[in-house]
Amino acid sequence: MTTPSSVLTDGTTLSRTDRALLKVEAALNLASGITIFALVLLAIANVLMRKFLNLPVPGYIDWTEQFMAVFAFLGLAYVQREGGHIRMDLLVGNLKGRVLWLFEFLSVLFMLLVVTALIYGTWFHFMRSFDFGAPNWSTDSSIDISLPLWPSKLAVPVAFAVLWLRLVVQLWAYGRGLRLGGDAIVGVPLPEDPAEQASKEAASVGAIGAGTELAGQTRHGSD
Amino acid sequence: VEWNVSVWGTRRAFTEHVEKLAELVEERSDGDFTMNISYGGLSNNRENLDGISIGAFEMAQFCAGYHQDKNRAITVLELPFLGVENLEQEVAVSHAVYDHPAVADEMAQWNAKMLMTSPMPQYNLVGTGAPRDTIESFDGMRVRATGGLGEMFAAVGAVPTSVTSSEAYNAMEAGVVDSVAFAQHAHLSFGTLDIADWWTENLNPGTVNCPIVVNIDAYESLSDENREILEAAVDDSIEYYLENYAELLRDWDATLEEKGVEKVRVSPEEIAELRSQAQPIHDAWIAEASANGLPGQELYDLVESTLAEAKSE
Amino acid sequence: MDNLIDMRALLDGVSIFELSLWLSGLLLLLVLIGVRVAFAAAFIGFVGLCAFFMQKQGFDRGLVTAAKLAGQVPHSKATQYSLSLIPTFILIGYLAYYAGLTRHLFEAAKRWIGWTPGGLGVATVFATAGFAAVSGASVATSAVFARIAIPEMLREGYDKRFAAGVVAAGGTLASLIPPSAILVIYAIIVEQSVGKLLLAGFLPGMVSALIYGALVIGLARARPSLGPAVGGFTWRQRFESLPGAMPILLVVFIIVYSIYFGWATPTEAGALGAGVVLIMALRHGMRWRDLKGALMEAAKLTVMIFAMIWGVLIYVRFLGFAKLPDAFAEFITSLEMGPYLVLLMILGAYVILGMFMDAIGMLILTLPITFPAVMALNGGIGGEVGALGMTNEETAIWFGIIVVKMAELCLITPPIGLNCFVVAGVAQDAKMDISVQDVFRGATPFFVADVVTVAVLILFPGIVLWLPGLMG
Ligand code: NA
Ligand code: NA
Repeated sequence: MTTPSSVLTDGTTLSRTDRALLKVEAALNLASGITIFALVLLAIANVLMRKFLNLPVPGYIDWTEQFMAVFAFLGLAYVQREGGHIRMDLLVGNLKGRVLWLFEFLSVLFMLLVVTALIYGTWFHFMRSFDFGAPNWSTDSSIDISLPLWPSKLAVPVAFAVLWLRLVVQLWAYGRGLRLGGDAIVGVPLPEDPAEQASKEAASVGAIGAGTELAGQTRHGSD
Repeated sequence: VEWNVSVWGTRRAFTEHVEKLAELVEERSDGDFTMNISYGGLSNNRENLDGISIGAFEMAQFCAGYHQDKNRAITVLELPFLGVENLEQEVAVSHAVYDHPAVADEMAQWNAKMLMTSPMPQYNLVGTGAPRDTIESFDGMRVRATGGLGEMFAAVGAVPTSVTSSEAYNAMEAGVVDSVAFAQHAHLSFGTLDIADWWTENLNPGTVNCPIVVNIDAYESLSDENREILEAAVDDSIEYYLENYAELLRDWDATLEEKGVEKVRVSPEEIAELRSQAQPIHDAWIAEASANGLPGQELYDLVESTLAEAKSE
Repeated sequence: MDNLIDMRALLDGVSIFELSLWLSGLLLLLVLIGVRVAFAAAFIGFVGLCAFFMQKQGFDRGLVTAAKLAGQVPHSKATQYSLSLIPTFILIGYLAYYAGLTRHLFEAAKRWIGWTPGGLGVATVFATAGFAAVSGASVATSAVFARIAIPEMLREGYDKRFAAGVVAAGGTLASLIPPSAILVIYAIIVEQSVGKLLLAGFLPGMVSALIYGALVIGLARARPSLGPAVGGFTWRQRFESLPGAMPILLVVFIIVYSIYFGWATPTEAGALGAGVVLIMALRHGMRWRDLKGALMEAAKLTVMIFAMIWGVLIYVRFLGFAKLPDAFAEFITSLEMGPYLVLLMILGAYVILGMFMDAIGMLILTLPITFPAVMALNGGIGGEVGALGMTNEETAIWFGIIVVKMAELCLITPPIGLNCFVVAGVAQDAKMDISVQDVFRGATPFFVADVVTVAVLILFPGIVLWLPGLMG
């Protein structure tokens, strides 16, 4: 179901929390992917209906823009869990043990600060478009066919809130790493590490999905 | 005091009154009151009211049609076939509606106060192929027209087609749309005129309404002197805008000729018929506005009476 | 609440412009210590907005205004229709993998040109160039070929840095050879014909591929340890590899046909292409599980790229309030120098900016400043030929191709180079021992090749302008 990541698991509360959250995150990321797929189908429908029936999808651009809020944000926490948000690992790639966990802790702390501000900001961005008293609860709408914007604006703080939870779990994990020391801690993506960790992980998750298959092919190729 | 002003795009006829206002205010306050106009640096065009509401900048421009639900009251000015014939009339009806308490209330929810309008000429069509100058010829025509204007064309059998303004040129070039409804300066800047075969001179189907608003707190914290200077500069700025746009329109015929675009006149009978088709849309607007707690009939009548008055002058 | 530090007093001494320079330095530091780039940019942007509004409105109100303003950016910037083709092009890339298009393409390239020195590297360059005709995103192209080409090169004993560098650089071809997400974004920012820009990218993309190919051959000749030739294919084997590579031509045909003959706008054509590749992938035996995997991967990459977009744009929003772009525009127009000298300076600035920024963020940030500056430099009004020897419309197209090539450069330059990150990411995913630094080292020679390409395009603008000129 998931791509193999180098996140270790065990029976601790931390690890169980990590995996419980992962279920939510993976589902949201899949929703993000399905939305991209729906967008492709919508565009094809729009082209074909316009070409053959002279009947383009009404408000096609408006609908596309609403979809975009979904696919651009829902996967945020999943990508963070998998260590997928790009960064420069020039420094952290060469650190080990407690020093590494310290830098990771600080790095996640910066993220937590800005994400907290963004939850506040995006929530009020949503609230400005939402009013129980207004028709369709809407005080902001799209340009062509006046779709209410609040549902897509709500998707953003929701995605950020899940990311916030993920960041807290990661702070917890790095904090634990700082306390206990060692190179292998659970609950966070580990920098490039021996292949055995991957096989351990694969065994514990027990799922061999498309992603593993992809990686398997390349691994086979590099043997 | 320095005010930040959020507009978008590049400096053009549509923003000349803001530039003029900034110039006049600075001059008349001996440099005490300045405005710093930003073209897109402070906000997206569709979030300018949001920016005013949170106090990110003190003054901004927006168009009602970008987000009807943010500004339901003034969408009366965007109804199709109101019968506005020129920019002077557009200014008169806009400012009359802006002065209505229902509009002031709605804007106050955004912490905004209406300052002036940015009068836009009618969104006449340019198109490719044979001229579309009868209602019959609109049947099946793919037209880039959003909101109420799109609804109006749909009512007579045209097919409103969703295309962004920046893709309008490509869409017309490729045949994705047959015609595009824009103001003159937009037909020029988006290049639709370059590939068009015709332009409707007198269809005058309606336009968008784009006010300039100020943040209420910022306005109220101005010194009495500066507030007077600001208020007094509005009429001068609008006058300058009208002069400047008139110049653009003077060159319009020459531009059409240069680009080989035919001027198409729609017969008065056809226009009368289109207007009668627009009446149900007007009625629906009044009904919906009233259902939403706005004085729909009052706003509509205000537009009608102000327009009649402006035409009789 | 009573503030321990009076922010106003603290900030009064510093102009917001100065502060923007300091904060930009701090951003670099955060990125260097490993903070995720999108969030480092968003953090610095937010801090800058806080400083700006606290100076103006006091601590409490300033903080609220800054947070609300930063909170506008993600939804507002991520839901712009013009960006909607990014995920469709990414999806094409992943589906093409399942449709077997990429593997066949690489196989054909290997059999036909593998005999050259560093043959698998040359094959990778031309396979990525071919794949570029269905892929609109550099990053996705590099990701796909990292899975196919790198393992094969490693197996043949190629130097790992060299192998990774070729894939990272080859991916950038996808943005010149149409379709191209970034060319569409350029066209939309500067309001030029998308069709003409896409056509204009074709020959420069080919030239770029040829220069890359020549570079690989040259490098492999000078240092045979980088990688051997892979020969020994019979003509029969060569021709047998062709039918598998054919479907890609069909996809190209559909995308080009639909744009130029009025079926679709460029954005829709991307989706049409994805639809066709989907059908191919299904016929090639892709199952629901694979599709789900492709959707998960496409979503991951999309979310990551969009996070870069809104993160960088929060920072850009702060720069807007700090008036940094205005300062630059004034600076450029105040220079009294020849147009080519100014152009070279602008390109030099792009190289430096490109080290730290991603391609799309860089275009969005700089074009509003540099495009008008370049048009003013040319100065041709109403179809006249200006100082750069072109009309303004031609200059707009030509500058677009140059700028996109510069933007592609930033994908392979350290410390922030998206293509290199992705190649290293895929390699790590597949447990190959290749670090980000390895990829950057391997990509360095291609930086030189790109400089040569840009020089060629400046000296011979006809390469850019010939095809769009045919469109009339
Ligand atoms: Na491409
Ligand atoms: Na770079």
